[in-house]
Amino acid sequence: MNKQTINKILFWVVIIAIFFYMLFPFYWAINSSLKTEAQLQMTPATFVPRDPQNGNLAPTLRNYMAVLENERFMKGLLNSVLVAVTTTVLALSVGAFAAFALGKLRFRGKSASLYLILAMTMFPQVAVLTGLYAVINALGISAIPGMILSYMLFTLPFTAWVLTSFFKGLPMEIMQSAQVDGATPFQTFYMILLPLTMPALVTTGLLAFISAWNEYLFALTFTSIQPQYRTVPVAIALFTGQIARQEPFGEIMAAAVLVTIPLIILVLIFQQKIVAGLTAGAVKG
Amino acid sequence: MSKQKGLSDLAKIEERLAYWLLLPTLIILLIIAFYPLGSVFYNSFTNKAFASAEPVEFVGFKNYSQLLSFTIRELPPQVDAGGQPVLDDTGKVLYTRPLDVLPREPLRYRELSQFSLLGRRYVVGATDRDFLRGVWDTLIFTVIAVTLETIIGLGIALVVNVKFTGRGVMRAVMLVPWAIPTAVSSRMWEWMFRSTRVGFFNVVFQNLGLIQDPIPFLTSQNWQLPAMIAIDVWKTTPFMALLLLAGLQLIPGDIYEAADVDGASKLRQFFSLTLPLLRPTLAVALVFRTLDSLRVFDLFQIVLAQSRYSMASFTYYQLTNNRAMGYSSASSVIIFILIFIFAVLYIKILGGADSE
Repeated sequence: MNKQTINKILFWVVIIAIFFYMLFPFYWAINSSLKTEAQLQMTPATFVPRDPQNGNLAPTLRNYMAVLENERFMKGLLNSVLVAVTTTVLALSVGAFAAFALGKLRFRGKSASLYLILAMTMFPQVAVLTGLYAVINALGISAIPGMILSYMLFTLPFTAWVLTSFFKGLPMEIMQSAQVDGATPFQTFYMILLPLTMPALVTTGLLAFISAWNEYLFALTFTSIQPQYRTVPVAIALFTGQIARQEPFGEIMAAAVLVTIPLIILVLIFQQKIVAGLTAGAVKG
Repeated sequence: MSKQKGLSDLAKIEERLAYWLLLPTLIILLIIAFYPLGSVFYNSFTNKAFASAEPVEFVGFKNYSQLLSFTIRELPPQVDAGGQPVLDDTGKVLYTRPLDVLPREPLRYRELSQFSLLGRRYVVGATDRDFLRGVWDTLIFTVIAVTLETIIGLGIALVVNVKFTGRGVMRAVMLVPWAIPTAVSSRMWEWMFRSTRVGFFNVVFQNLGLIQDPIPFLTSQNWQLPAMIAIDVWKTTPFMALLLLAGLQLIPGDIYEAADVDGASKLRQFFSLTLPLLRPTLAVALVFRTLDSLRVFDLFQIVLAQSRYSMASFTYYQLTNNRAMGYSSASSVIIFILIFIFAVLYIKILGGADSE
């Protein structure tokens, strides 16, 4: 074997190792989700669901049935969709306004505003936990609008920052020619810039959606006295079975798999866009 | 003249529009960031408790001193009636109990840890040992996890930067750990770390002959942090790798061709071309990950709950379990200041490097 072949083999070994490292926990979750309580307690744990008596392959869908019938979990899915979608739409619309001003208009205090937005993208949520809790109580709003409002803390600066860089990249001539044609700045924004930035909006929106969907600290705190408004991450973290005495890990794994699948599909479809958005937010920033 | 005036009018209109466009963002940030931050600062100097009828009193720095006070005392060896040190069954010197040495007034100090130095035994006591241990654990967690993530992430980025069939699939696979909620991945790993042979790691370690008895990864003091780091590395290395990959792709390919012509080895090329050119990206990725890791919450709260705290989970439990709003606010402020210091340090270091 020559050196090149060996290098090639080594390269593929590394690739396969990375592949397994990234995906193995999911495999283990799927494996466990297909086991009954008795199969889960088998020692040593088996790499596929096996019958405790004869060792035959014996997967079961019981856990999935249980999860789909679990009202709290299903309600959590609904809450999560509601919160994440509203947060995304709100962050995008408010953020796009700010980004247009920051990216394309001249005004005093611009660089200060830019610094502020950038600093806010790194703001530690836990630092305002008690204060935000008090604000939401004072406003007298329930947990759902409370979560939507507080998720602006990390989605709004992020969308504003990324969209600003997209707006900046758009050629000034488009705006100038629109102005020459008699368009007001707002018309320029609405009719020319917005359609042009649609791809950027999709990318940023996706990232905002994922971060809102995954948020845990605020969701856990604000729903502590209103369990009916729990989102999926909280529901999974606090998952209790319908009947099981101990933590029902089979059901938890089934729930984890069910939540992960749509995200994987989303990631597969929008892979390029997500990477572009991540890098626009960080590398170019 | 009139043209001048027209232009400045336009500029004014533009400026006014800009302020109007920024207004919603500013109002929202005022309600959810600046006002709460101010109230957290204010509350941290009070004894405010959530949903309590007790009047709120201003207590000055009491919360802070209770969170942060620690002391180091020597533990004298126990002596018997004849003045000889008492030995235990294995022949080791017995020391006075920390309880007898640590101060109790005005606040009670509890043992945080013990260490030996120059043949003497010392005890570290703290008025809130959970908090100080949480700060320490979070710092250790951050340093080790971010270092590992950077090294592994860079390795993965370099490998995936090579053109090969299936590269797109690989990039998608790398997004998966990043995309799923930390709550979900924490529970998946919690299950893999089970303390009996029901858990994946115990089965594998035992099959490899590395261990005799199952390791209680999540309950053993020594294994808790390594387990947390392993989970975090898995979850966030892909993010690091993707950022670094994007940085690598900004480097023009022809400089490597030139280096090849000059006969520079691959290793040499990595250290004198790739690494310096990747530095800005690496720096940004490091800042993001460090600041993120210092506020780690989901992982600690879900997997370890109250058996071991991160700074953020300590704050959370003070608020929800103890309803101690003032006390919890003070710990929020300390986290905020710590993260702020890290951010400023980074910006100083990176800013200084950029201007060179």
